[in-house]
Amino acid sequence: MKAFGNIHPSVLMMYFLSVMLVSMFASNPIIQAEALFGGALFCLCIQKRGTALRDAGFYISLFLMVAVTNPLFSHNGKTPLFFLNGNPVTLEALLCGVSIAVMVIGVLLWCKCYSEIMTSDKFLYLFGRIIPKLSLVLSMALRFIPAYIRQSRRVSRAQKAMGLYSGKSISDRVRNRMRVLTAMISWSLENAMDVSASMKARGYGQKKRTDFSIFRFQRSDCALFAVCIVLLSVPLVGMAAGVTDFTYYPGISRIETSPAAVAVYAAFGALSVLPSVLEAKEAIIWKYYVSKI
Amino acid sequence: MEILRVEDLSFRYPKAEKPALSHIDFTVESGEFIVLCGPSGCGKTTLLRLLKKEVAPFGEKTGSIFFEGAPQESLTCAGEMGFVQQNPESQIVTDKVWHELAFGLENLGVPTDVIRRRVGEMASFFGIENWFRQKTDELSGGQKQLLNLASVMVMQPKLLILDEPTGQLDPIAASDFIATLQKLNRELGLTILLAEHRLEEVFPIADRIIMMEDGGILLNGEPRSIGPGLSKLDAAHHMSCALPSAVRIWQGLDIGGTCPLTVKEGREFLKRNYSGQTVTLPEPEYLHEEATVEMKNVWFRYERDLPDIMRGVSVKVYRGEIFSILGGNGAGKTTALCVVAGLLKAYRGKILINGKQVKDYKGNTLYRRCLAFLPQDPQTVFALDTVRADLSEMTEMMEIDKSEREKRLDEISARLGISHLLDRHPYDLSGGEQQKCALAKVLLSEPEILLLDEPTKGLDAYAKQNLRDTLRELKATGVTVLTVTHDVEFAAETADRCALFFDGEFISADTPRKFFAENNFYTTAANRMARELWKNAVTCEQVVECCKSVGGAK
Amino acid sequence: MKKDILTVFGLVLILTVLFSGTHIQSVDEYYLTHIDDIRPESETVTLSIRCDTILENYDELDPALRSDEYVPSDGVILPPTEYVLREGDTVFDILDRAVRYNKIQMEFQGSEESPFGSVYIEGIHYLYEFSCGPLSGWMYRVDGEFPNYGCSRYELHDGQVIEWVYTCDLGSDVGAGWNEYSGGQRK
Repeated sequence: MKAFGNIHPSVLMMYFLSVMLVSMFASNPIIQAEALFGGALFCLCIQKRGTALRDAGFYISLFLMVAVTNPLFSHNGKTPLFFLNGNPVTLEALLCGVSIAVMVIGVLLWCKCYSEIMTSDKFLYLFGRIIPKLSLVLSMALRFIPAYIRQSRRVSRAQKAMGLYSGKSISDRVRNRMRVLTAMISWSLENAMDVSASMKARGYGQKKRTDFSIFRFQRSDCALFAVCIVLLSVPLVGMAAGVTDFTYYPGISRIETSPAAVAVYAAFGALSVLPSVLEAKEAIIWKYYVSKI
Repeated sequence: MEILRVEDLSFRYPKAEKPALSHIDFTVESGEFIVLCGPSGCGKTTLLRLLKKEVAPFGEKTGSIFFEGAPQESLTCAGEMGFVQQNPESQIVTDKVWHELAFGLENLGVPTDVIRRRVGEMASFFGIENWFRQKTDELSGGQKQLLNLASVMVMQPKLLILDEPTGQLDPIAASDFIATLQKLNRELGLTILLAEHRLEEVFPIADRIIMMEDGGILLNGEPRSIGPGLSKLDAAHHMSCALPSAVRIWQGLDIGGTCPLTVKEGREFLKRNYSGQTVTLPEPEYLHEEATVEMKNVWFRYERDLPDIMRGVSVKVYRGEIFSILGGNGAGKTTALCVVAGLLKAYRGKILINGKQVKDYKGNTLYRRCLAFLPQDPQTVFALDTVRADLSEMTEMMEIDKSEREKRLDEISARLGISHLLDRHPYDLSGGEQQKCALAKVLLSEPEILLLDEPTKGLDAYAKQNLRDTLRELKATGVTVLTVTHDVEFAAETADRCALFFDGEFISADTPRKFFAENNFYTTAANRMARELWKNAVTCEQVVECCKSVGGAK
Repeated sequence: MKKDILTVFGLVLILTVLFSGTHIQSVDEYYLTHIDDIRPESETVTLSIRCDTILENYDELDPALRSDEYVPSDGVILPPTEYVLREGDTVFDILDRAVRYNKIQMEFQGSEESPFGSVYIEGIHYLYEFSCGPLSGWMYRVDGEFPNYGCSRYELHDGQVIEWVYTCDLGSDVGAGWNEYSGGQRK
């Protein structure tokens, strides 16, 4: 969280997009495995052990389910294992399912890292560069939504304690929802008046606004950006040229081991473990620094 | 140097019969700390909003306002005059603390590197560094209000206007906030105009008090002159109840001398005039009827991994008594109340309402002629467009005759004095009025047991007295009242018994006299002043009575 | 939330399997098909499977399939062969029996017994629809004509000639109109 999260949002965004896109569109098992490994490793770095373990159960079950689903629906492939309702269930389809599962889990893990690292303010900052007005609106919405949810819980509880439509029947529940909703409309209007007073009191709408943010593009960001571009361009060029193509149907193709393919694997591998390496480096430096004191 | 001058200002809201303000005249010197007080509805908010032209209400205005010698209309910079409202929640515009701080400066078009410096400066002055990058939603009420103050302060205002900023805060957060204001005034020489109900703490630090009533200025002078001034107008002026305990006791005794303002001064004043040994007043034995609410070894937590909020709570509340639960912020008082109300489920233990377990009340039976719960925020009780609609909805639920319904509604509204409010929108009422209407709605279910969560939040002294009277009337009709409150003074004046909720348990439950006499810090200001003379005199009235009974000053 | 996802996923999976049936056969069992011997009195039909059109559109073919193994150089997957016609046999029944007997891979969609719709042949001999361009797929012809409906609803008579042909252009390259293609299998 510390090392990688402090990088400039634009670099982060580019990094996450490129890793996710490459792992989504690569069919090569080595690239997929690298993406999965990198994602899992980084998740471990930024999460608490407890949650990581609990999540592992979920990901493993999801993995199995996705892997099993494919051969049930796709019957292509040279090596039938058995026949289900007259259609073959093949080894190739099963392996293809595994590959899809690796891809899905890998992308999910990266999404998780993304949501941990790319907090709403970083996202808004990037957005604000493009459309400043919209970024303020989004920021206000993000402020409003949790307040709204909290207030509607309070209203719902107050209504329940008065015994108004608090039964368990569906009609009661629907009416209760409707009541809470009407109450919340009044509340929202009231809230909006206060907010607008607060905005006006602080000079909103008087002059052209500037757009402040706490993020600054530093030299380290620049360096990392360059590294990412280099590491990304190798797999992109390689994949476009078809160096790492891989097919499951009808027969499983051989894993490419030409120097070009190896270069692609190496570059993408480096790219996917980059955040974990940065975290580890930070941790080591910190340990060393502490031990020196 | 004069910073603000108001000349013969009158104001009337559209369609209103009476003017909200009439012939207001006053000036504010640069660097002054002025406290504006008066019962709610006296025009404080209107006045403050008129001063800040960006948020001024619409209506008929006469008279003029000068800021730094120039008429208010010619002012262009919104940053010169800072404005903080009552509700900490609804003033926050953005989702992150740092963004909120920068918001005002962004509006003024200040370059980003200047914003960076000013925001950093203010964040360190207010001690916000630790939560600088947090979401505004995760802050406590006190932090939110501090953030509101800081995000006004980054604009470097010359005059700070605050409209009851501590109304929604708990006492500790309120003290912190007031202390910050004092620091701003002392260290930065900032001019402050503060409207406030809670005078106990601001009275001693203010340079001047302006007391308003019915849209006009009643008194305007040094804090020490307010007590005598009010006494001169009327010995038992109804506004006295809002004054700090020391001033009230001084007024009540009516023996002259300089008016004390703080607990320390009050204690010296009493000592000077009534010396003697510490006496513990005789306390009649507490008589009670059978228990209506009983908790037996109740345990509660919100989630499996979270700590217990209630740890084996056992308590009995007797029929027809007013029982106050006191306790610090986040101690779980409200949670305990919700557990009693059946809104949260205890995972162990029994809660008996009239001898029957809460979980055995099926459907709505618990909330019909049995138990009623008034939440902290009275707004949450209303769901319809008028108070009348909300109230009649409740009567419809009660399975009684149509003619009877109307009667019931009128009766309750008359009793609580809200008949004139019935056709208004609930959200248009003041805090005190909202609360009375909410109470009326809740009372329509004819409860035997009434649960109140922080009933005095945001109320002025007058409304508190009103509430106290209402609760006493209810008690007289046999209703059991269980309140949760921060307000030590209110509990001391109102409750039959008080209990301290701490660390998931009720530490002690006793009559206010015994309860507060045992406490050293957690007690009323009056008790702190007088405890060396009368150990268990807890309210101002009791202290005054004791002094008078001892007879004349030395 | 996560539990919910798993449960829903699992339920859908189980329901699909239950709904589509759980008739499991081992590989040997599947290929073990009795082809009746042709006797003078038995009714027969002739079946062939060809993919000549692919040879003409080789550059459109999925690279993974560019091999003699999948596309025979003469375009013949199954030369015209006579099979005994059993009572009520449809085009699908004959095809199914023939591919099993010859151990040719075949994948179909839908169910034989299904009262609505019909079986759709997705791929034969690893050649699937869209394997050779976006307009490619399998069609069948009986006595030189492309029927307007699914192969499991076409009941055969003695002496009919069935040809399964692979088209790369909605049937126009094998002599069928666009209309006929659309009805050729789907429907």
